[in-house]
Amino acid sequence: MRSSFAYTPRPGPLQAASPGAAVAYLGSLVTVAFVYSSPLVLLAAGAAAALAGLLAGARDAVRAALRMGVTLGLLIAAVNALVEHRGETVLARLGEWPLLGQVDVTAEAIVSGLTLGLRAAAAMVAFAVYSACVDPDRVLRALRPIAGRSALTATLVSRLVPVAAADAARLRDAARLRGPGAAPVGRGSIARRLLAGSLDRAVDVAATLELRGYALDAPKAKRRKERSRHDARFYATGATVLTAAIAARLLGADGFNAYPTIELGIGPLTLALSALVLLSGLAPLRRKPRRAVQPRPAAPPTIGHAQTPRPETSHA
Amino acid sequence: MPDLATPTRAVPALTIDGLTYSYPNAPHEALRDISLHLHPGEFAVLAGRSASGKSTLLRGACGLVPHFHGGEITGQVNVAGLDAIASGPGELASAVGYVAQDPETQIVSTTVAAEIELPLEMRGDSPASRARAVEEVALALAIPHLLDRTVDTLSGGELQRVALAAALVTRPRLVLLDEPTSQLDPVAGDELIWLLRRLNEEWGVAILLAEHRLERCLAAADRVVAMDAGAIAFDGPPRDFQAWSHDADPALTTPAARLFSLAGIDPLPVGVREARQILDSKGCRGRGVGPPLHLTCSGGEWSAGRGRIAGKVQDVPRGSDPPSDRPALDVRGLWVELSRGDEPHDVLRGLDLTMARGERIALMGRNGAGKSTLLRTAAGLVDSVRGRVETADGMVLLTQNPSDYLVRERVGDELPGEAGMEALRIVGLEHAVDSDPRDLSGGERQRLALAIALAGRMEGEKLSGLVALDEPTRGMDRSRRDELVELIGGISEHGAGVLVATHDVEFAAAFAERVVLLGRGCVIADGPVKEILSGGWYFATEVARVLDLPRVITPEQGAAVLNAEVEDL
Repeated sequence: MRSSFAYTPRPGPLQAASPGAAVAYLGSLVTVAFVYSSPLVLLAAGAAAALAGLLAGARDAVRAALRMGVTLGLLIAAVNALVEHRGETVLARLGEWPLLGQVDVTAEAIVSGLTLGLRAAAAMVAFAVYSACVDPDRVLRALRPIAGRSALTATLVSRLVPVAAADAARLRDAARLRGPGAAPVGRGSIARRLLAGSLDRAVDVAATLELRGYALDAPKAKRRKERSRHDARFYATGATVLTAAIAARLLGADGFNAYPTIELGIGPLTLALSALVLLSGLAPLRRKPRRAVQPRPAAPPTIGHAQTPRPETSHA
Repeated sequence: MPDLATPTRAVPALTIDGLTYSYPNAPHEALRDISLHLHPGEFAVLAGRSASGKSTLLRGACGLVPHFHGGEITGQVNVAGLDAIASGPGELASAVGYVAQDPETQIVSTTVAAEIELPLEMRGDSPASRARAVEEVALALAIPHLLDRTVDTLSGGELQRVALAAALVTRPRLVLLDEPTSQLDPVAGDELIWLLRRLNEEWGVAILLAEHRLERCLAAADRVVAMDAGAIAFDGPPRDFQAWSHDADPALTTPAARLFSLAGIDPLPVGVREARQILDSKGCRGRGVGPPLHLTCSGGEWSAGRGRIAGKVQDVPRGSDPPSDRPALDVRGLWVELSRGDEPHDVLRGLDLTMARGERIALMGRNGAGKSTLLRTAAGLVDSVRGRVETADGMVLLTQNPSDYLVRERVGDELPGEAGMEALRIVGLEHAVDSDPRDLSGGERQRLALAIALAGRMEGEKLSGLVALDEPTRGMDRSRRDELVELIGGISEHGAGVLVATHDVEFAAAFAERVVLLGRGCVIADGPVKEILSGGWYFATEVARVLDLPRVITPEQGAAVLNAEVEDL
């Protein structure tokens, strides 16, 4: 079964953009998510990443990332509520717990946990969009002249991950198909078998790389120009988002505080930044192709005296 | 370093002298004193039973042996003037292309275009020449529509073509292929062989092709090299090979050669075309002389419309239990949808199929026709979107990779207790209880996997329900295939219906009594094996294609017809 996050070639500005431009754009959203704590800004960053993914056609990736992100966010919020004792608004006193001591669930701890979860979810959506829309071959090609060994490792990993996933699915199927009289197979056995099989797979893939001349000390191939006409759009959007985020931060945006009491700190700067970040999600929007200007039909050529020129205007 | 871009006709594509090789810690030599010269433009088939050293020889010719696998090696290997033992696979990459049996593990990029381009990039070619080479090789292999696809959305046949394209894109002087048709349907397999022949003729590429299904490729070959226990047992033209294999190793003879041998006709033919020419020249082929014969079959007795032919035709052994009213498999209006890439599509489209207990059915069709999906749906691994599948007495499925079932280091640990022993007895492996599954041969591992799937589903000696096998003959030589035919017969005799998805028409002719042909998710033909496998061109046995007589599909049936005709003449 194919992963929702697997790269799928589609016609679209984000897919056509060079890896650098895509990383600059999506990276700016991740940076905003890690620099800011305001739930509004985090929500805007996550929504922008999701919007970008939807406009780029990566609906499945966005949906899967949101599902995982929301689950993780709720988990973080639950754990934070149990382990964090700060906050003045006590919602529940759960008594003495082993290892944790006195557990008081506070509204501040829950909100703080949700903020952390929101940050993780926003980052996950951005990474999912990157994974589904940026061609890994182009990334590796760009990486190879800079760091050959890292590119080799990345190539092996990027190939082995889907192969291992397919192997794991087959092993799970085989485990389900065992007769009731055969020894049962647990997850541990499958994992051991998968690990052993992955080593064999890695050797095969490495042999193929040898045969393709990967280890060859050949003259460096001239790099193909990987630029796209959409690059400027993504670089500009990424730079604008980053500059605005840094400037707003320096000017005092992001007044969010969870402890000791919740302070949302939603000022005009935070609102403006959130709106800008959200709008940046429109960057992968495909422009409608410009309609070519139709030349006015020329008058048919006259041949001899038989044809009379057509009048250009109708008779009044 | 010679200029590899310019072919030099004088230099042999491959020269092997006195090559002896042992894998690390192996008790026996994998290759023994091999000497082989292959010239540019030659098309050679490497024949031999399983584990005879074919794959090791191919790996030696591309430098993987000994550079990648280690071990001890003596002798010389030269590829297009390069010393393969001194150079290694990287340096040989421009001179030799290698396509392994499993295309899954020889793809290293995400998209098809990047995969084909990679060897050129490694060689340092300019972007313009890379783009042109990729386009040309894609056109040559008829895969330009795949260039923008990701490799994980390709079928096995498409992957095989992409791997071949990546091997050919550098315009190598020598191409080595290890059973490239093992995962392909008969149509794609034939296409691939004749594509190789065309590349061989037009580009002058030398080809060394290891293959078990010799009937597919002998007609295209200039030469056959047969291996036995790591040594070359025969090296000569295909026609001489037929005569040699008939005496020395009958397991390697093609069905057409067996037909001629049983009918006492000389010489043994290399392919369908030559077989027809020989029969025509001898005036003993029904359609070739005079008006066509009208054969009818009743109770295994053949008779001709003109009263000239009467002979007993060997029947495929049948299960002892008569089919009961309760079907082993009942499929009604089955629709199954799977996603390819990010687009769901219908793999099975309103399929209907009923199978009686004790019946043996070959499920055939092109790659992607829905054979595996049908088996997986019946086994509950895939959900249907509409329709129903019923396996009243349960179902056993052996998937394409029997090794997936083997997770422990002792056969007895996989199959403990009396139920396990009973399953081992059914597949004839009761002697191997204390063996490590990894020490078993390929055929024995397959039997063990089947025993694991069968365990606990038997009532004493009785086995009810359905036993399904998905492509069980991949990479099998004929002797192992014959063992599998016996095993299937045994399972059928125990009362179970046997449904086998296969591309191997000769295997289907040997075990099945009925063939169901799938096409684009629907049943396009369903009938007795003799009718289905004698009525087509691709989904027909070699004997059926030679004789073109209704219901004659095996060498024994064909020989009976020919003998009767010869006597009559």
